[in-house]
Amino acid sequence: MPESEPRLIRGYLEVLAAQLPGPIAEELADGLTETHRSYLTRGLSADAAAEAAAEEFGSAEEILAGFARVNPARRAARRLLGFGPVVGGCWAAALATSRAWPGPLPTRVALGLALVSCIGLLAVAALDRRYRVAFYSGVAGCVGFAALDASLIVGTLLVAGRTSWVTALAIAVSSGRIALCARAAVASQQNT
Amino acid sequence: MRAEELKGHLDAVLLAALEGGPRHGYAVIEALRQSTGGRLDLPTGTIYPALRRLEQAGLIAGTWSVVGGRRRREYQLTPAGVRALSGRRAAWRDFSAIVTAALENAGLENTACPSPNPA
Repeated sequence: MPESEPRLIRGYLEVLAAQLPGPIAEELADGLTETHRSYLTRGLSADAAAEAAAEEFGSAEEILAGFARVNPARRAARRLLGFGPVVGGCWAAALATSRAWPGPLPTRVALGLALVSCIGLLAVAALDRRYRVAFYSGVAGCVGFAALDASLIVGTLLVAGRTSWVTALAIAVSSGRIALCARAAVASQQNT
Repeated sequence: MRAEELKGHLDAVLLAALEGGPRHGYAVIEALRQSTGGRLDLPTGTIYPALRRLEQAGLIAGTWSVVGGRRRREYQLTPAGVRALSGRRAAWRDFSAIVTAALENAGLENTACPSPNPA
């Protein structure tokens, strides 16, 4: 938006740009500029046109809430959280039957903490209405879960050697989650 | 008509606005105003998230261009979007025919078949 545009319009766009990714903010800036221009061509003064355009556009809160609902990171986080108990159940069964717990106690504690952190990040992505917070939490949660799953798979294969069908099932489900995480991270990047 | 009254039909309305060719967000709003004689009163900003949602669903595709020094995102229907619009139109015709029949003929039914007189 050029310097000559009214302060109201600039302020409105600054609020949106602070919360939304650059490309979305640019698209909204174009739309608001066009709305403003349409009022100027109807004979309104620059300030009156700015007020009318901002009113027609809707409140910034309304727009931010709309984008929060379509945030791909939010949807991916909800899907991964729903899938979590399945993966966890498979690994619990695999580790209980094979008794091949990955590493010594500190390693297990670290894995547990990493798991809780990943769940926390995805919960923030699933619930937070701030677009950027949800986006970065979601991507971090996806990366974390993918790393956790890869560590579990590699660790189990190294420790157990031969795998039972329960362990093979857990590895397959974990591999599925890695694929889901990668797809979600790519989709989040493409849609911002 | 306010945005809340359009709930559930916004996607179909946006797809229809893009049927004529690629449009950017504000042009979509303008097209809807023209096609409805100005009776559709949507807050302009709310259609942008809806366009993103349709894009994520693969029903429309967005491309960037530069107009007047500003970046502009234009959307057009994908083949899946064309099919979805056709399906939504058919569903809407069925739905509106049923509701119209129910609203306009219900009274006539009562007149034609009065409830039995207990006396």
